[in-house]
Amino acid sequence: MSKRADDELPFVAVRDLRRVFDVSKPWLNRVIEGAPRAYLKAVDGVSFEIRRGETFALVGESGSGKSTVARMVVGLLPPSAGTVTIDGVSMNDAEAAQQRQQLRRRIQMIFQDPYASLNPRWRVGNIIAEPIRAFGIVEGEAQIKDRVGELLRLVGLHPDDSRKFPHEFSGGQRQRIAIARALASDAEFIVCDEPTSALDVSVQAQILNLMRDLQERLGLTYLFISHNLAVVRHMASRIGVMYLGRLVEVSEGKSLFSNPRHPYTRLLLDAVPDVAMVGKAREAVKGEIPNPIAPPPGCTFHPRCPLVFERCRIENPAIIDGVACHAVNAGRVVAA
Amino acid sequence: MSSEEAVPVVSVRDLTVEFVTRRGTLRALDRVSFDVGRGEVLGVVGESGAGKSVTGAAIIGLIDPPGRIAGGQVLLSGERIDNLPPDQIRKLRGKRIGMIFQDPLTSLNPLFRISEQLIETIRVHSDLDAAQARARAIALLDEVGIPAPERRIDSYPHEFSGGMRQRVVIALALCAEPDFIIADEPTTALDVSVQAQIIALIKTLCRERGTSFMLVTHDMGVIAETVDRVAVMYAGRVAEIGPVRDVVKQPLHPYAQGLMGAIPSLEGQAQRLVQIPGSMPRLSAIPPGCAFNPRCAQAFARCHVERPELIAVGDRRVACHLYDQPSSGSAGAEIVS
Repeated sequence: MSKRADDELPFVAVRDLRRVFDVSKPWLNRVIEGAPRAYLKAVDGVSFEIRRGETFALVGESGSGKSTVARMVVGLLPPSAGTVTIDGVSMNDAEAAQQRQQLRRRIQMIFQDPYASLNPRWRVGNIIAEPIRAFGIVEGEAQIKDRVGELLRLVGLHPDDSRKFPHEFSGGQRQRIAIARALASDAEFIVCDEPTSALDVSVQAQILNLMRDLQERLGLTYLFISHNLAVVRHMASRIGVMYLGRLVEVSEGKSLFSNPRHPYTRLLLDAVPDVAMVGKAREAVKGEIPNPIAPPPGCTFHPRCPLVFERCRIENPAIIDGVACHAVNAGRVVAA
Repeated sequence: MSSEEAVPVVSVRDLTVEFVTRRGTLRALDRVSFDVGRGEVLGVVGESGAGKSVTGAAIIGLIDPPGRIAGGQVLLSGERIDNLPPDQIRKLRGKRIGMIFQDPLTSLNPLFRISEQLIETIRVHSDLDAAQARARAIALLDEVGIPAPERRIDSYPHEFSGGMRQRVVIALALCAEPDFIIADEPTTALDVSVQAQIIALIKTLCRERGTSFMLVTHDMGVIAETVDRVAVMYAGRVAEIGPVRDVVKQPLHPYAQGLMGAIPSLEGQAQRLVQIPGSMPRLSAIPPGCAFNPRCAQAFARCHVERPELIAVGDRRVACHLYDQPSSGSAGAEIVS
């Protein structure tokens, strides 16, 4: 139980996380039409670890379950099965309620849409002061005001901005306010769900640089959710690729791009339009993500996979050595 | 023959669009000029509020009051179309200029089968009978890559996925075989793997049908892979226009340089991204001189007073005083930040 053990213990550990949504028709329809109950497995057995001070990114296309994972990690959504442990404290265990209360303030979230995540009727000063008041981090109005000013300066705004309302700011500035709010409770672990998808590229660059600077200065740990592979490559130290609720590949940041192993990762990398690709021809990508309510049996990627063989249609591959693919694990494919 | 080749499909000359509001007149487009040749894809790129979509809307006469075209010309194969009466421009729309919008679900009527929507459009623009129009609709769906078109044609829009819906919208735009198609963020609502398919389709259509495209997008990656020439817009003005390879690899305008540096890439090492300070000015507060001068690290005295015109630099045209050396002795050398 010594604090020194921190270095070996992962800061965040997610084990076999599952979430099933009931998407059945209403009861009356089921009775009259005889429609069966329908379930959507949004997240299907996802496990990963995040070390202290690193950025772990989850990438995938829409419907791959990355946002659902993020919401379960911060506790906005109860998992159907599996556990989330942050700094040794279980987020699901009823007995750890007391410790969890202590942990809460150290976990914060930044959302995609800075137009929806800030209360339009509150002044920015109050928005940022709310976590400070709620967790009783600083006592006294004057001190709270000072702390808010300090936070605003930290994210590149002016302390006087605390008197303004969110609508007086641009999208990028609002995302800075959201970051200031996340830092207000001295958070150590920040879950960022598509933090720059709603922003223009030049503003996106400002926010990504700010997030990296803050990580360096404050030793933050990020769980970074994005569909944009180039952004993820820029931000993440380790990356998990999701497809239809499953993690198909986990890899150190750089090697995912230099040496993608799972066929889906390769497809994804081939599909991304990149400024470096000007004038080059590329392989055509085939197919789309199947309906998650009735996913294909076995490996869910097999209908689109160029390496498919008999076993893929029957058996769902487990993650071995960072890749969930029968073909790769059986050694049929040598990394390109 | 040669005159046919020489006339660009679409030519925009000094196009200015203004919106009259209670707080004064906002200039959304300020003397925008470019040409699109036959079978060419012109990319129009810029951040939100740069005037990309307004350019597309102005070309096909979709600017509604309080907006108005305050100056300039739009020529379609050499004929002026910006001053046509509404009923004539309506005949042009779809027939000679097609349009593809960002969100494929809102471009299709959810209450009608796609067969009805396609056949209606084909029959409005041609004198085919119902059976011929249906055969043509099936051929079009096949061309845009919808599997089993003879079966899928009677589906409703909601029965298609996002990528398939966008294919249907493209088929709809092709119904009257227009010379020119304006695609406004056609892939923004789609996932990357589907986006790549739609880009490939647009390129194929260009090559095989000789259709010209104007591709409006904020995604430089899409631009780099799809278009022949690109226009970078900033605050309602064209900052730089030229062959895509040059503009992407070696942008000249300081804004274009900042924009390219700000994009995280899949190649090279992940360094700190180039950061352009500030954000695009509001239309009500465009600074005098060059609209980019408050954010430009290389701005000098002239930039604050005089608006730069597009000047030719090699194959490109750039609106920046840095490249306008001869007129004033030391311009470009003095850097005042």
